Amino acid sequence: MSILIDLCNNLLVASFVIQLLAIIFVFNKNNRTAMYSANIVLLVGLTLGLASTLSSALFSSAEISTESIFLGYIRLDALSLYFLFIVQLVAIPTTIYNFSYLQHYVEKKRPIKSFVVFYIILIISTQLIVITNHAIFFLVSWEVMSLSSYLGMILEREKEEVQRGSFYYFAASHVLIFILYIMFFFLHNQTGSWLFSDYHLSFSTGIVVPTIFILSIIGFGIKAGFMPFHFWLPQAHPVAPTVLSAFLSGVLIKMGIYGILRTFLFIKPVPEWCGWLVLIISIISAILGVWYALAQHDIKRLLAYHSVENIGIIGIGIGIGFIGSANNLPAIQVLGFGGALLHTLNHAIFKSLLFIGSGVVYQNLGTRNIELMGGLVHRAKYIALLFLIGSVAISGIPPFNGFISEFIIYMGFFNTADELKNYYPILMLLFAVGLAFVGGLAVACFTKVNSIMFLGSERKEVKHFKTSIYDNISLGILAALCVVIGFYPQPFVGVVNKVISSSFILGNSSSALIDIDWLYFTIIFTSIAFGIFILALIKIRIEKKYGRRTSDAWGCGYNNLNPRMQYTASSFADELNTIPQSVLVYHKKFEVSETAFPLPSKFESHSKDFVDSNIAMPLFNWLKSMVAKLKYLQQTDIRYYIAFILIIISIYSLIAFLWV
Amino acid sequence: MGIDILQGIISIIIILGLSPLFAGLVNKQKAILTGRIGAPILQPYYDLQKIFKKETINATSSSFISRISPLINLVTLVIAAAMLPVGFWKPLISFSGDIILFAYILGLARFFQILAAMDIGSSFEGMGAAREATFALFAEPIFFFTIGSISFISGFTSLFDIYHSIELTNISYGVFIIICSISVFMLAVSECSRMPVDDPNTHLELTMIHEVMILDNSGIDLFLYQYSSYIKLFIYAILEISFFYPFSQQSYLLGILIFITGSAALTFVLGVVETIISRSKMKNIPQYLLFATAIGILNLLIYTFTK
Repeated sequence: MSILIDLCNNLLVASFVIQLLAIIFVFNKNNRTAMYSANIVLLVGLTLGLASTLSSALFSSAEISTESIFLGYIRLDALSLYFLFIVQLVAIPTTIYNFSYLQHYVEKKRPIKSFVVFYIILIISTQLIVITNHAIFFLVSWEVMSLSSYLGMILEREKEEVQRGSFYYFAASHVLIFILYIMFFFLHNQTGSWLFSDYHLSFSTGIVVPTIFILSIIGFGIKAGFMPFHFWLPQAHPVAPTVLSAFLSGVLIKMGIYGILRTFLFIKPVPEWCGWLVLIISIISAILGVWYALAQHDIKRLLAYHSVENIGIIGIGIGIGFIGSANNLPAIQVLGFGGALLHTLNHAIFKSLLFIGSGVVYQNLGTRNIELMGGLVHRAKYIALLFLIGSVAISGIPPFNGFISEFIIYMGFFNTADELKNYYPILMLLFAVGLAFVGGLAVACFTKVNSIMFLGSERKEVKHFKTSIYDNISLGILAALCVVIGFYPQPFVGVVNKVISSSFILGNSSSALIDIDWLYFTIIFTSIAFGIFILALIKIRIEKKYGRRTSDAWGCGYNNLNPRMQYTASSFADELNTIPQSVLVYHKKFEVSETAFPLPSKFESHSKDFVDSNIAMPLFNWLKSMVAKLKYLQQTDIRYYIAFILIIISIYSLIAFLWV
Repeated sequence: MGIDILQGIISIIIILGLSPLFAGLVNKQKAILTGRIGAPILQPYYDLQKIFKKETINATSSSFISRISPLINLVTLVIAAAMLPVGFWKPLISFSGDIILFAYILGLARFFQILAAMDIGSSFEGMGAAREATFALFAEPIFFFTIGSISFISGFTSLFDIYHSIELTNISYGVFIIICSISVFMLAVSECSRMPVDDPNTHLELTMIHEVMILDNSGIDLFLYQYSSYIKLFIYAILEISFFYPFSQQSYLLGILIFITGSAALTFVLGVVETIISRSKMKNIPQYLLFATAIGILNLLIYTFTK
C-alpha cells in the first residue's frame, strides 16, 4: 500500500515538474513552435497528474491517508484529491483547445508567449491551491492564481472592453484576498498554527465559528460568484480569451466552493443558521443568475450568468449539507454535500464545453452576439451536436450529468423534510419549487441559445466556417464525460460518497447516496437511447415507403421568407424578461413612426445588472469621491510628509505606552 | 416480482392504446354539449392512420433536430407513462425519487419540441416555442405544489407510493387532496394545450401554442407528435384520476372500475370546461397558471396550520 502511495506522490511531483518545464519551451523564437511545444509538454504533465490522481486512494478501495507530506506543506486528503481531479480533468481539454485557439493569434502574428506562460502558471497554481496544507502557501498560490489569470485575461489589451472587464476581475480578486488574509490570521490567532491539519475549531464557543464562517462566505463567495458578489463574473468572462474563460468558469470559480468546504472542515459542525444563510443566498443566485442569463445576447456573458446559477445550485447542496451537519444527521449531509460536489464536477465539465463551443463560433464569426448567428448546424454539425449535449446537461435534464447532481439535491430536500419533520417539509418544498423553477428557466435559456445560434437559417451570411481537429477532440472529451456521468453515475457517486464519509461527517456515515437506485437510471436512460435508435430505424423505413422531401417553411401564403424574419433571441425571451423588470433593469425602447407612409421603425432592448449598476458601482464611485477628498493631504512639499510621519509615530507610541 | 412486471407492461399498453380514445371522447362530449353530432369517438385513430400514410416533408432550413425530436418526444412520454399507476397496479418504473425523474423527463420532451420548432426558422414556430417555454416555466411550480407537496408531507418520493399514501380519512386532508386535484386539473389543461390556455382546434397560427410548433411537420413526424400529445393528455388524466382511488382497499377490480369511470368522468369535465370557457388572452395565461400555483400554496399552508 505504501508503495502505491509513494508511486502516486512521485507521479504527482513529476507531473508538477513537467508542467513547470513547459514554461521553458515558451521561450522558443518561433511563436508557433513555442505554443505547440509548451502546450504539449503541459498536456503531458497534466495527463501524468491525472493518472496519479486516478491511481490515488480516492479512486481505489484503499483508505485515504490524512498524513501531510513535504514538511506538512502538502496534504492529499479526499477533498483535495477530488478537486485536484476536477482541475486536471478540465485543464486537459482546455489545453487541447489552446492549439486551435492560439493558432488564430499565431496566424495574425500576435504575441502570445506571455499568455501561454500565464496560462501554465495559472494551471499549476490552481492545482497547488487544492493540495496545500499551509495557510501562507495557500494565500500565495491564491494570489498567483488571481494575478496570472488577470494577466492572461488581457491578451487583447488594446480593446477598451477588455481593460474594463479585466479590471473588474482584478479588483474583485484583491478585495477577496484581503478578506482571506483576515480569515487566516484569525485562524492562526485561534490555533497558533499555519497548518490546515491543525485547525480544529469544532466546538469553540463565542464568535469564533460565526466570524470564520462569515469571512469565508464573503471571501470565497466573491470568487465563487454568489449573488451579491457576482458582478465581476459577467464583466470578466466575456473579455477573457476563450481558453481562459472556459477554465475560469469551469474551474477557477470552483476554488471558491473548495474554500467554503475547506473552511467547513475547520469549523464543523456549523450552527444551523449557516445552512439557511447559504441556502437563501444560493437560491437567489440560482434564480436571478439564470434570469439575467435569459436577457443576454452576448453568448459568453450569458454563460457567465449561468455560472452564477450553477454556483447557486451547488450552494443549495452545501446549505442542505450544513443543515445536516448542524443536526448531526449523516444522511442529509451525504445527500447535500454529495449533490454539491457532484454538481461541481458536472458544472466544470459542461461549462467548459459550452465556453469552448462558443469560442469556436466566435473565432469563425468574429462576434459574440447571438442575434447575428443562426443556421450554424449546417456548417458544423458535430460542434452543434456537442454544444447541444452540453446545453441539455446544464439545463439539468436527463439523460446527462446535470440531472444526476440535481436529483441528489432533490433527494436531499426530501430527506431533510422527512428526518426533521416539523416546519421543514414546507421550507424544503419551497426550495424544491425554486430549483424546479430554475430548471424551467434554464430550459428556456438554453433552447434560446441553441436555436438562435445553431438552428434556422443564417441571419448574417457566414463566409467560411472551419473547425480544427483540436476543437472536436476537446469538445468530444467533455461531451463524452457528460454522457458517461449521466448514463452510469455509480462510480462517480461512489467517489463523492467517499470524499464525504472520509472527512465531512463526524461519526458514522450514511449510505443514503449509494442507496439511491442508480441502476434504474442506467436502465431507463439506455432504454431511451435504444428506443430512439429503434424508432429512428422504423421511421426511416416508413419514410422510404411513403416518401420524404424538403420544402420551404409555411409562410402563411407569403413566399419570400428571409432569414431576418426568423424569431430572434430577444423576441424569444421577451415575455420572460419583462416580468422581473425591476430586478433585471431591462429596458425596451420603441421608435414607431405614426405617419401614413410608415418610416423605418426602431426597437432596442438593454439589460443591466442590478447589483452592478445600483449597488457596486455607486458604492465604488462614492468611495472614490470620498478618497478624492483626501487629496489635499497630498502636497508637493516634503515637510508635510515628515509631519505626517511624526504624527503617526507619536500616535503609535502613545498607544503602545498606554497598552503596556 | 413477475406479476408486478406483467402488470406494469399491461398498464403501459393500456395507456398507449387508449390515449387516442380518451381524446376522442373529450371531443365527442364537447360536440354534443355544443349541439353538434361531432366526429366519431374513434376519430383520433382514423386521423393517426391517415397522417401515418402521408409523405414526410421537412422544411429546407431544418436539421437533424427536427428529424430526431418526434422520436424523443414519443420515447420520453412512453417512459413517463411507465411511471404511472393504472388502477392499483404497480408501474413498471417505480423507485424512490421517480417523481423528480417524471417531472424532468417531460422536460426533455419539451426541450426538444422547442428546439424542433425553432429549427424550422419561421416566426410562427418561434412564437409557439417562446410561448411554450414561458408557460412551461409557470406550470412547473404547480406540479411541485400539488403532487410534490403530498410527497413532502407523506415522506414518499415515488409516484406510486405518493398516491398510495392518500387516505381520505381525515377531513382536512380530504379537502387538501381535493384542492390539489383542482390545481392538477389546471396544470393538465395548460400542459396538454386545452382551453382556456390553448385551443386544439384553432385555425389561426398566431393564437396557437402547441399546434403552431408542429405546423411544418407532416407524415410520420406529425403522427409521432400527434400520438405523443394524446399520450400526454392521458398521462395528465391519470395523474388526476389517481387522486380518487380508495387506496386502503386493495381490489384490482375496483381499481380498474375507478380507472374507467374516472377517465369517463374526466372527459366529461374537460368537455364541459371547454364548452363553457372561452380561450383566454395570451397575456392572461401566466395569471391563470399563477392562480393555480397560489391555490396550491394556500392549500398547503392551510393544511399545515390546521393539522
